[in-house]
Amino acid sequence: MSELQGLGAKLSEAERAGVDRDLAVARRYGLVHAGGGPDGQDVPRPATVVLDRDGVVRWFSVSRNFQVRPDPDDVLRAVRAL
Amino acid sequence: MTSSGRLAALSVVVAIGAVAAYVLLLRVAVVRNHPEGYVVAFALATALAALAVARARARRWPAWLALGLSSLLLVAGGWFNFVVAQVPVTPTALRVGERPPDFTLPDATGRPVSLEDYRGKKPVVLVFYRGYW
Repeated sequence: MSELQGLGAKLSEAERAGVDRDLAVARRYGLVHAGGGPDGQDVPRPATVVLDRDGVVRWFSVSRNFQVRPDPDDVLRAVRAL
Repeated sequence: MTSSGRLAALSVVVAIGAVAAYVLLLRVAVVRNHPEGYVVAFALATALAALAVARARARRWPAWLALGLSSLLLVAGGWFNFVVAQVPVTPTALRVGERPPDFTLPDATGRPVSLEDYRGKKPVVLVFYRGYW
């Protein structure tokens, strides 16, 4: 946790990591993998969402295999298209 | 080297090479987007090793060693990629053209961060990481 705090202190306004400790936000988004953790705990489903300035979803990707993250080029393309 | 020895060596090179390639080439999109590639490579290594065993005459242990290694990697890799790493596809609250639920969370320093803070100001990229406490 202290490592995360050290990292958080270094992050600029452009990149802020929210700590969703009890997965409340992931649950509200329907992004929980029930029992998906190594000890059977609930973990988030890896997902990336691009919102425009009005807070509207313009692009999102939810992974079917946790080794595969959305391509950064795809995310950049979605952001540039806003 | 006998043909069996060569096949056994090739099998080991393919198996170890697949592990090294996946780890070292993760920055290449086609590698990181297709982890099933390492399972295919392990299957190829197993086939080569099985051929080596079939052709072995005098010294058999290299072929059996190669078969043991490649089949172990095939089972472990196949299990990991097709079972462990699978994330179930269930409905989400995400819809293109709609606003997702608002939220307020503490960041790592304890300061609250809300989606609302950015509305009307900046685009936002939300990334949900797989992780646990």
